[in-house]
Amino acid sequence: MTAKKKCMALFLLIVLLHSFVLLKIDFAQQAEQEKTETTQEEVSEKIVPGPQGIKESTGIYVFITWVWLAILVLVYFLRLKIKEVDRLLEIRFLSEKKK
Amino acid sequence: MKLRHSLFTRRQFLNGLLGGWLGAFAASLLFPILKFIFPPTREPDEVILPFADFQDMEPNTVKNFAWGSKPGIVKRNDDGSYTAFVAVCTHLDCNVTYLPDQRKFFCACHEGWYDENGIHIAGPPPRPLRRLNLSIEGENLIIKREGGE
Amino acid sequence: MKEKNVKKDIRSWLDERSGLSAVFRFLREKKIPQHKHSLWYYTGSAILLFFGIQVITGFMLVFYYSPTLEEANSSVARIMTEVPLGWIIRSVHSWSASFMIAFVFIHLLSIWITKAYRKPRELTWMSGVFLLILSLLFGFTGYLLPWDDLSLSATKVGTDIPRSIPVLGVWVTKFLRGGEDVTGDTLTRFFGFHVCILPLFLLALLVVHVYLIQKQGMSLPLDLERKEEKVKELPFWPNFVYREMIVWLVLIGILFTVSIFFPPSLDKAADLMAPAPEGIKPEWYFLFLFQMLKIFPAKILFMNGDTLAVLLILLGGIAFFFLPLIDNKPAERKGKIITVIAYLFIIYVVGMSVWSLL
Repeated sequence: MTAKKKCMALFLLIVLLHSFVLLKIDFAQQAEQEKTETTQEEVSEKIVPGPQGIKESTGIYVFITWVWLAILVLVYFLRLKIKEVDRLLEIRFLSEKKK
Repeated sequence: MKLRHSLFTRRQFLNGLLGGWLGAFAASLLFPILKFIFPPTREPDEVILPFADFQDMEPNTVKNFAWGSKPGIVKRNDDGSYTAFVAVCTHLDCNVTYLPDQRKFFCACHEGWYDENGIHIAGPPPRPLRRLNLSIEGENLIIKREGGE
Repeated sequence: MKEKNVKKDIRSWLDERSGLSAVFRFLREKKIPQHKHSLWYYTGSAILLFFGIQVITGFMLVFYYSPTLEEANSSVARIMTEVPLGWIIRSVHSWSASFMIAFVFIHLLSIWITKAYRKPRELTWMSGVFLLILSLLFGFTGYLLPWDDLSLSATKVGTDIPRSIPVLGVWVTKFLRGGEDVTGDTLTRFFGFHVCILPLFLLALLVVHVYLIQKQGMSLPLDLERKEEKVKELPFWPNFVYREMIVWLVLIGILFTVSIFFPPSLDKAADLMAPAPEGIKPEWYFLFLFQMLKIFPAKILFMNGDTLAVLLILLGGIAFFFLPLIDNKPAERKGKIITVIAYLFIIYVVGMSVWSLL
């Protein structure tokens, strides 16, 4: 599979997963909307999670940025590694063919 | 100084980079996991108790209070002053008791003895009982960590 | 150079005693075919990735969760508010569950459409169906554990459904609930299922499933197999594994992003005596079944509508389990019809799920 096709497939996968995620969130939001319409007094009893305060918020954003940066770097190195092992495979394949 | 030959091959270099980054990535994921598994200590900064509960204490008697999840002891001394200890044996964390007739704190687990000031005098305890800062402010007895931590 | 020798020494020491090098040799010789449908080969390991994440986050949550009626909800509240980063761990656990089940469905559909279940892989398919059922049970039992209004109602409805099955149904309901009604005992029972019983069964089936795959090798889509021309193959180690790592990393990134920005909330503790809240819905992977039960009228001829629906679902499930035996002539017309049924099934499930939300 060519590199371009692989990129496209990965991109499609990410888009698919995100749309699935968005759908799920939409369902959840709909459910929450229905709930808040009918049970106003109980809204305060619901625990909505999330970072508390600016320090934790910034920490979270830094963390997720670092995660994605690390992933991009790792994907780059992995692609180099894949090129290397694929090249080795072809050399071995060719040498076996010669035999 | 230029080297004639490389210290490592291109393959080793790439492997090192990949392994190193994978390790860094894994470590950064490990950090929140460790934070979750080891929650911070739950000792309070201070405990405020009503002084009325303690002002009628006889000298050489003790009263218990809760220091977070550990037991605490307030002792009224002969001169009328008060001292507060964390009633946990410094050997292996058993709870200690005060024996007024002997004027000593005693740990039943391994027979550790402390004198009336909490200094370890016999048995396995390696350190004196931990003291807490005690002050009386108006109607309240305020107990804080010693050393202003 | 000295370092390399130390590594070699340790490896040969271990190998002399365990024979592990045979495993590594096998992984190097295992071949993954490369063709236009190769992308689907990644779905199986994606499921494994998410399951592994479930195990790890599950271990962590179980450190703080209390499976009793009085403390379940408050212990989850504590995880979300007091325990450092607890809300993230819970969020990852919740999202990874959905991702895992989503990939189970994708994996299942890819096997169905490429007919990878044909001989000799029938057993792999059947063990896979059991794995699907176990995954759904994991989701169902886990959903109750926060013990809030929504999860209690969903469990009441869900455990009531088997009752429609004649004769045996009542006993299934009693078994799931630990009695006639959903009580604190149900919660404890579901906890036992979720952290002990189901994991053991899943691990056992997983070993069977993975062993069969290694023994039989990767399957080829039907048309490629019939062409009988040589298909390019990649060794599993290291070529395919590095590609898999890329997929895993991207999936982890997506999971973390979603978990951090869309964490699940927690409602107040369930009240066993209160009326059912409005807008009860099961988790998304049960929506199509839920909708099917909703649309069946209360009585059809002489039969209870629910009973008919449940029996139809059961029949469908059984046919699904025996699909490799039913589809014994995959290349012929019967096989093509079964492929069309797969596509119709996708449309049906998506349609019913969306309908249930309107």
